[in-house]
Parts: sequence; structure tokens; C-alpha cells
Amino acid sequence: MGAESRSSVSPPGRRYWKIAVVVLGVTFVVAAGLYHLARLYVLNEAERNIQAVLLVHKGTHRYIQEVMHPVFYKLRAEGLAADTFYAPEIFSSSFIVRNQHKAYNEERKAAGLEEIYYKMAAFNPRNSVNKADALEEKLIRMFNENKEVKDYREIVRIGDKDYLFVALPFLVNQERCMKCHGNREDAPLGLQALYPGLGGFNEKAGEIRAIESIRAPLEEQYFLLYIVFASSFAGLLALAGLLFFNARLRGMVRTRTHELEQEVAERRRAEEEVRQTNEELENRVEERTARIAAANKELDSFAYSVSHDLRAPLRGIDGFSLALLEDYGAQLDDTAKGYLGRVRAGCLRMGELIDDMLQLSRLSRGEIHRQEVDLSGMAEEIAEELRRGAPARRVAFEITPGIRVFGDAILLRAVLDNLLGNAWKFTAKTEEARITFGREEESGKDLLFVRDNGAGFDMAYADKLFGAFQRLHSFQEFAGTGIGLATVQRIIHRHGGAIRAEGEVGQGATFYFSV
Amino acid sequence: MILLVEDNPDDEALTLRALKKNNILNEVVVARDGVEALDFLFGEGGHAGRDLALMPEVVLLDINLPRINGLEVLEKIRANERTRLLPVVILTTSNEERDKLRSYTLGANSFVRKPVDFLQFSEAIRQLGLYWLVLNQSPPLVKV
Ligand code: HEC
Repeated sequence: MGAESRSSVSPPGRRYWKIAVVVLGVTFVVAAGLYHLARLYVLNEAERNIQAVLLVHKGTHRYIQEVMHPVFYKLRAEGLAADTFYAPEIFSSSFIVRNQHKAYNEERKAAGLEEIYYKMAAFNPRNSVNKADALEEKLIRMFNENKEVKDYREIVRIGDKDYLFVALPFLVNQERCMKCHGNREDAPLGLQALYPGLGGFNEKAGEIRAIESIRAPLEEQYFLLYIVFASSFAGLLALAGLLFFNARLRGMVRTRTHELEQEVAERRRAEEEVRQTNEELENRVEERTARIAAANKELDSFAYSVSHDLRAPLRGIDGFSLALLEDYGAQLDDTAKGYLGRVRAGCLRMGELIDDMLQLSRLSRGEIHRQEVDLSGMAEEIAEELRRGAPARRVAFEITPGIRVFGDAILLRAVLDNLLGNAWKFTAKTEEARITFGREEESGKDLLFVRDNGAGFDMAYADKLFGAFQRLHSFQEFAGTGIGLATVQRIIHRHGGAIRAEGEVGQGATFYFSV
Repeated sequence: MILLVEDNPDDEALTLRALKKNNILNEVVVARDGVEALDFLFGEGGHAGRDLALMPEVVLLDINLPRINGLEVLEKIRANERTRLLPVVILTTSNEERDKLRSYTLGANSFVRKPVDFLQFSEAIRQLGLYWLVLNQSPPLVKV
């Protein structure tokens, strides 16, 4: 039933595939976005580093030109320095910045960092170390043609490493620059002497003669990029996994919930069925009880009228037979008297039959009032009554004391009456008659028994023993109606017990019963 | 006087014979059903104008009677001021506990089951006669 209901919801395998594909797709799109962002961030970081370096350079340039140069010109004007004195080590800002950067790179190297390439790349350099390469030349021209372009950047691959390359136009040539970069003859003599060629001269004001070319390694930044990306991607994957598992879990919970709901519904249905069946059964029981009650009532009134209507004529027959015997005895011969005696005996026997039948019907109806019953005491009483009824008889009673059961006192009395009465009757022709009432254990259960050593019976008829009007002995042998054991069995059954008999002709009989 | 209320003529004859056999020679008035019995006791119907000073020493009352049954008769006897204290012996074939219980509840003085064995019945009648007619003091006549 479980598999059936599961498939009726949705095939979970396929659904999870779908979810997995969607989650993976979303993950990769988000990852791509993340990578892009991380890259932007990393490049930005690299650029800022470069910018920091350049700002330092700029500051240095400005200091040299705005602070040192005026002092120097003043000294020269005051004649404290020779007109011809010039030394790039203390005059040229580009010289100073280049060497300062060289020192900076050495420090970086010492600190385990990769060098940052820096060049004041000029078209027409005074110092050949400043000679622009092909790209730099192209860029100088580009900056001169498009004055509004303020920078250029590109990721270049050198060897197996990526670098961020940034180029910025250097200061536009101004009048004051012309002192040293204009006509060679106008430049300080010392400078002319130091730089013999035309490199760095004949520049025009308003032009850009150089770029600051700088290259920062991206390896470090890439490393950062990988870490940032990898960790965010890992986080994302974990999140996606969580989402997927969450979806799966929810799916499982949903399926299970659905199953449970169905189970509950199923159970409700079953309960409802049971309830209906119960109701039907109850109704049937009620109906039957009513029918039984009605039948019982009918039986009751039947028994009542039987006891009246059958007994009245019997009494007449007996009474008038006796009247004949008493009043006209003298006129009757012995045969006639014998016949009348037989008539009377027949009447008495029929009276007994009627009484026993009534007892059987009465005892098998009516309610059972259970209470503790002292069967041993009861048996003693009955034995006493039997002895009193026939004082001439010698019968040994062995009654185990203290046998107590839970049952209906009146009905159980009838049981013992019948069983002990039978034992008494069937030991009438036995010498040293012995009747025992006791208790035995059989396969863990207490069995009560009444045993005698009287006439016994043939086991072949054992099952007929308890039928109403069944007699195993002729009336001449032992009087009786054959109803007693039927009554006993019915009472025992009504107590939920069982009864059986064991015996042998001439060896006595034992009746085992449980209550 | 004995009032025998009995519808079965056989039982009537046998009861009368048993009384005679046991030397109970009181006059026996026989009523064949409950109505007749009550008529006799209260001087009504066929017995209208009867001298009500003459009351039976004992009433032998069968339960199964035509018209008004024995238990109803007993009830009426006990309800009437004049007959309230009359000794009433229930004579019946029934051996039902409930009949016995009801008889005593309604105020029967004795309950005798008519046995099939006539000798036993005769013995019962003898003892009844001895007790109710000889030993027992009749209740005072109640004047109304
Ligand atoms: C006092 C002289 C002097 C003045 C003023 C001067 N420079 Fe220079 N400049 C030099 C010398 C000397 C060098 C070469 C130093 C070296 O690298 O050996 C040089 C180098 C340069 C370089 C590097 C390329 C090259 O030719 O080697 C640039 C670019 C430059 N100067 C731009 C300027 C600008 C723009 C101005 C005006 C704002 C200026 N200079 C003012 C003396 C001067």
C-alpha cells in the first residue's frame, strides 16, 4: 500500500533531479557573477596599489620642483652656486624618482614582494633608460592626440604571469620646463655638459613628452581572487547543497506526511468499519437477546402450565387409585391391588419427571449470581441429608475440605445434589460403598471430581451420559429420570466450565468438572 | 366451617376425602372459582343475604382459578376489614418460587404444594387441619 500511495503523489526521483539541475544552474550563474565581481574587486585593488605608488612619485616630483628648485635658483642668483653647476642627482625629479623607485623595489624584494615595474617613458628621452618601448610610444602619441584621456590600463602577460599595466600621461610641458628641455643653448651649462646629445631638448610647451608606465604583478591579487572566489563558491555550493537537501527533506516530509495522512484515513476507515460492525453485532445481539428473552418467557409460562396441568391429573389418578385401594380394597384381589400399585408408581415417576424437567428448564435459564461458594461444606450437607434419608445404608464419604469456587450457590448446589445423589444411588448395591469429593490437578488446571465405587458405566456410552432422558441403567436397577446429568452439564457450561465422566461397569464412576 | 376454593372436581373430591379420612368433620363450603369465593365471603351475588357472622375457620385456596385467580382472592380478603384476619392456606400444584413468595407477601398463612402422591397430600391436610382447626385460636369475628 505504501509504494502505491507514494507513486500516486509524484515520482520523487525525477523531481529531485529537476531540483538538482536547477540548483546547479543557479549556482553556476551566481558563481559566474561572483567571479566577475571578485575580478573587478581584485583589479581595483591592484590599481589602487599602483595609484598609491604614483601618488608618492607625484609628491616627490612636486617637492623637487616646487621646493628644491626655487631654493637652488635663489642660491645661484645670490652667487652662492656657480652658474654652471648642475647635478641630476639633486636637480632632476625624474632622475630622483627613478632611483627612489629603484630603492623602493629593492625594499620590496627584501620584503619578499615582486618588483613593480616603473618607467618615465619618453619619446625623446634625455636619459636613454627612459626610452619608451613600442607600446609606450604609441600611448604617448595617443595621449597627445586625445588630451581628455587620462589613463590607460591593460592586463598583459609576460612569461607565465599576468600584470596590470597602467599608463598615465606625464605633466604637459610648461614654460618653466623649457629652461632645461627647450633649446640646448638655453639650458644650464652644467646640464648641457652632462647631456651632450639632443635627447630631452627641443620640446614644445603644451605637449606631453612622457608617460608614467607602471606594471604591477597580479599574482598576489589573483591569489586573493582565487581565495575570495573559492570560498564564496564553496559557501554557495554548501548553501545550494543545503537548499537541495532542504528540498529533499521537505519532499520526504511531504511524502511521509501524505503517507501518514493516508494511514490515518485508512485507520479511520477501519475504525469506522469496526464501529459499524460492532453496532450491527450489538443490534443483532440485542435482537437475539430480546428473542431469547421472549422465548424464555414463553418457556417459563409453558413450564408453569406444565407443572400445573400435567400434575393435576396425575394427582387425580394417584388419589383415586389410593381411594380405590383404601375404600374398596376388600373387594379387590391381589392382582387388582398390584395393578393399582403400578398405576400409583407410574404417577409418582411421572411426577418426578415433571419436577426434574422443570428444574432443568429453571436452572438453565435465569441469571448466574456469582459468589464464593464453599463446595466442601455443601458436599458435607448433602452427604448428611442422604445418610438421613437412608439411615440403614453404610457409605463412606471422603470429602476434601476447603474446596471453594466462584459461582452461583443455588446452581452449584444442584450440581453436587445430582452428582452425589447419583453416586449414592449407584452404590446402593455395592458393599463398602465409598463416595469421594475432591480436587485434582490436570495440566496446570484444578479439576474437581465426584467418585464412587458403584455400578459404573460402559465408557462406550460416556458421551450419552449427559443427554436429557438418557439412562444407562434400567429403571428396575436404579430409579431415575435421566435428567440430572443433563442439568449438571448445563449448569457447568453456564459457568464456563466443562464436565466429563470416566467409568467402568462394576468399577464405579468418576465425574470430573471445572467451574 | 372450611371454605375450599377449588375448580378441579378431582382435587375437590380428593381434598374432601382427605379431610374426612383425617376426621376433620367441619362443614366444607366449596367455591368453584374466585368470584364465587368472594361472593360467599362478602355475602354477595349468589350468596347475597348470607349470615355474615358465620365465617370459615380456614380458607383453602387454589391459585389457578377461573375468572379471579387465587392470589387476587387473597388480596381482596386481606383488603377487606371483615376478612382481614381470616387464616388462608394456599393449596396449589405450583412449586414456583414466585407463587410462594407472592402468596406470603399478600398475607397467606401457609403455602402447601399439592403433591402427586396422595398419601403425602393427605398427610399435609391432616397437619393443616390439626393446626388451623384445632390448635389455632380463631381470630375474633369482626363486626362491621
Ligand atoms: C633644471 C632643469 C630642468 C628643468 C626645469 C626641467 N627638467 Fe626635465 N629633465 C632634466 C634633466 C637633467 C633630465 C634627465 C635626468 C635623467 O634622467 O638623467 C630631465 C628628464 C626629464 C624627463 C624624462 C625623460 C628624459 O628626457 O630623460 C621628463 C619627462 C622631463 N624631464 C619632463 C620635464 C617637465 C614636464 C618639466 C617642466 C615641468 C621639466 N622636465 C623641467 C632637467 C630639467
